Amino acid sequence: MNVILCSINTLKRLYDISAVEVGQHFYWKIGGFQVHAQVLITSWVVIAILLVSTILVVRNLQTIPTFGQNFFEYVLEFIRDVSKTQIGQEYGPWVPFIGTMFLFIFVSNWSGALLPWKIIELPHGELAAPTNDINTTVALALLTSIAYFYAGLSKKGLAYFSKYIQPTPILLPINILEDFTKPLSLSFRLFGNILADELVVVVLVSLVPLVVPIPVMFLGLFTSGIQALIFATLAAAYIGESMEGHH
Amino acid sequence: MKNITDSFLCFGYWLPAGSFGFNTDILATNPINLSVVLGVLVFFGKGVLSDLLDNRKQKILRTIRNSEELREGAVEQLEKAQARLRKVETEADRFRVNGYSEIEREKLNLINSIYTTLEQLENYKNETIHFEQQRVINQVRQRVLEQALQGALGTLNSCLNNELHLRTVSANIDMFGTMKEKNN
Repeated sequence: MNVILCSINTLKRLYDISAVEVGQHFYWKIGGFQVHAQVLITSWVVIAILLVSTILVVRNLQTIPTFGQNFFEYVLEFIRDVSKTQIGQEYGPWVPFIGTMFLFIFVSNWSGALLPWKIIELPHGELAAPTNDINTTVALALLTSIAYFYAGLSKKGLAYFSKYIQPTPILLPINILEDFTKPLSLSFRLFGNILADELVVVVLVSLVPLVVPIPVMFLGLFTSGIQALIFATLAAAYIGESMEGHH
Repeated sequence: MKNITDSFLCFGYWLPAGSFGFNTDILATNPINLSVVLGVLVFFGKGVLSDLLDNRKQKILRTIRNSEELREGAVEQLEKAQARLRKVETEADRFRVNGYSEIEREKLNLINSIYTTLEQLENYKNETIHFEQQRVINQVRQRVLEQALQGALGTLNSCLNNELHLRTVSANIDMFGTMKEKNN
């Protein structure tokens, strides 16, 4: 009897744990909006990491690059390569956008996988990668949407909308639908992957705290990098698609 | 059973916490796994990354050196070409000056020599004319003399008789005699 009670108690506790782990947020009220403070905090940390490292490296530029400068130039070259292959000739103005997307998502994902966020305790919820929250990824995806609309409209003017009836007007509904599915798929892909990664790690840690989660963490690192790359590549591809010439 | 339960339960303790703080539960916060992951990442990533960056640096250095060499070569060539240009220019100047003076001199020489030639020719002409005149005069003189002599001979042959002959001879002898006296 005692054992059963105990186990019921334990299950209740376990239920509490699992109920708490997902979907608990630490809310701040800012001007009538409820914001997820844990996401803001981790975003600020990520932004700070990016800004500080960039400023530190950029402060003292050399003709023959030092280690840090060399690394950052390599990253820039990589981003430029990605945008060039996806956008084509006029990739120049879009490198900052693509680079911001890639770096923010990449550092967010890796910070979620590498930094011991859980050491810091919040009143509610817990700190994790900013991309772990659907709001962040939706924001990024909507920015991508705006970017490709802007790219197309500024390149072709109103003629941009003629792509909706190409190759035939029958495809008009599908083409319009695409504008909704693009940000949807972008945001959900990123959100789902990162959340799944972190959940798998958390669940494994709660089951077997040592050694076993390590391969999964590496897998998480790998997936995180890939997801950042995919997001940046797709954003560039959408921008390039809306800018490409008439056939 | 109890132990396992406890180890599960200890995760739950910090959850309802109402304020900021630090979670010191080593198993829950997972620092061991994280440090292992970080360590492996640094251990393997460092080699790859430094290789990559070294290659890139070498490439940059090579490019810089190449372009520097090219620049030096180009500067050298430029200097050489400029020096040659300067040399050629001075030479051209010299040639121009020389040529002008040479031409002037040649002209003067030519004019002078032509003048002398002309003068000589003039002289020759004059002389020739003179000689020709002389010759013609002589010829005319000779002809006149011949004709006069023939006339005289004819006259003599036609109208000379003994008496006249003697008179003439004696007159001439007289004339010669007076001429001889005069001369003496």
